[in-house]
Amino acid sequence: MVGAIYSNWLEWLPDQLDGLFVSVQLTAAILATGLPLGVLLALGVASPAKPIRWAALVVVELGRGTPAFVILLLVYYGLPQVDVLIPAFACGVIAFGLAMGAYTSEVFRAAFGAVGKVQREAADAVGLTGFDAFRYVTLPQALRIATPALMGWAILFFQATSLCFTIAVPELMTTAYNQGSVTLDFIGAFALAGTLYASISIPASYLVSRLERRLDQQGQGARPRSRRWLRGARTPAPSEG
Amino acid sequence: MSERGLANRSAAEAPAAAASAAGDAPVVRLQDVSKSFGDHHVVREVSLDLRAHEVVSIIGPSGAGKSTLLRCINFLEPPTSGTVSLDGRVICQERDRHGRPSRKELTELRRAIGMVFQGFNLFPHLTVMRNLTLPQERVLGRSRAEAEQRGMELLERMGLADKAGQMPGRCSGGQQQRVAIARALVMDPRVMLFDEPTSSLDPELGAEVLAVMRSLAEGGMTMVVVTHEMHFARDVSDTVVVMADGAEIESGRPEEIFGAPKTERTQRFLSAVMDR
Ligand SMILES: Nc1ncnc2c1ncn2[C@@H]1O[C@H](COP(=O)(O)OP(=O)(O)OP(=O)(O)O)[C@@H](O)[C@H]1O
Ligand SMILES: [Mg+2]
Repeated sequence: MVGAIYSNWLEWLPDQLDGLFVSVQLTAAILATGLPLGVLLALGVASPAKPIRWAALVVVELGRGTPAFVILLLVYYGLPQVDVLIPAFACGVIAFGLAMGAYTSEVFRAAFGAVGKVQREAADAVGLTGFDAFRYVTLPQALRIATPALMGWAILFFQATSLCFTIAVPELMTTAYNQGSVTLDFIGAFALAGTLYASISIPASYLVSRLERRLDQQGQGARPRSRRWLRGARTPAPSEG
Repeated sequence: MSERGLANRSAAEAPAAAASAAGDAPVVRLQDVSKSFGDHHVVREVSLDLRAHEVVSIIGPSGAGKSTLLRCINFLEPPTSGTVSLDGRVICQERDRHGRPSRKELTELRRAIGMVFQGFNLFPHLTVMRNLTLPQERVLGRSRAEAEQRGMELLERMGLADKAGQMPGRCSGGQQQRVAIARALVMDPRVMLFDEPTSSLDPELGAEVLAVMRSLAEGGMTMVVVTHEMHFARDVSDTVVVMADGAEIESGRPEEIFGAPKTERTQRFLSAVMDR
């Protein structure tokens, strides 16, 4: 085989960008499933009701102890065996969403702990219900504390979606694999895919470390009210009318 | 219940007048309240009557159980035994199997009683104004506009109108504590609890807060104040309660307690704090 690694890149790029778009969608769906699950599992593990606590612990331990790839194959091949037929994309979301929920539950648990009993008591003392105290006082502060770690997990799971090529989701790796098998230039195809993954992961990691630094500097001090920072954008002006 | 201004004595006296017909029932009555954590008996059978417009100071050495007693009043610490009555009615008697009273009664109790903590405990992720409006909207069901109007009234009284849009972290300690007082007052509580509200402040900033508390007391607010500020206890309160080792060892008018303490334990405590 002759020719530079990138000799076919221009030709492949449009299809790979389509694949990348699917990867991003998959990641978004995994986040939309995994993060709420992580919050629920964190609450479940801290629940005073024993059955809930044990159920949550089992999910967390299994989710963290079993490789996400094994869960993926279990869902994809296992569910049809019991006559549950769902699209491959959904299998990816279920398997990785579960894994993400298990991993991030630890992050949320630590963040809830960091917000602390004192804030909860202040909310109690003004008469907020438990749900309102959680919704308006604990959760927003915990999310802020947890954001850098959660973004770290999001980047890892974005990369892990490449495993979905084994279950024929038309994401980036699947596209690259198909291009490679047609041309037998696997090196070139996978190198382009790797470059595309990195073009998202590296800036995202950089953003995480910047956000971490900024949160460290701010400490417990002034906190912006807008949620824009959650998306990693500029910190807005701290005051608001 | 009608809205009442803090300095509005006549409106404030209406419920008290009704109560006096029923034998002058105190607003809050603690009967034999005890609290233990495991084997550790932190509060031992303390009884206390709090009448409308009365200011009670609780003093005593560190670890005496003052904070715990105060927190029993609004059930931040549910008492292990004994009862808390609000307007002559025992409240939060029924408990679930975790020892927690019903949500409805707890909310009723906490709507009637505001609390100010040593560490301010403002919500750091919300602006000063949002700290004041959130509980009004969620607990009292006020509209945002009503809540902001009431919030601004209180901020103006605290001399903090210009801080409405600030994050609490940008305010000085004294300002934060006054915001915390405002956060309790916007709820139009019948009773205010203060747990060493000036202990984490420099004397100068503490003075701002004490001034606010004095004017509240003069306006007729019913208050229970745990404090190490002996001047405040002596000058502002109607009744001083001395606690040691979880028990109330003496109580009376400030002149009695500071002028002629009856027990040796009180004398020892007072001479220690007065000599400082
Ligand atoms: N949640 C808790 N669990 C276990 N022990 C507690 C708890 N809260 C308070 N205590 C103990 O109860 C005792 C009294 O505490 P409390 O805070 O009521 O004292 P205090 O009179 O307010 O003291 P200080 O003047 O130092 O604030 C202390 O020995 C404390 O360690
Ligand atoms: Mg205390």
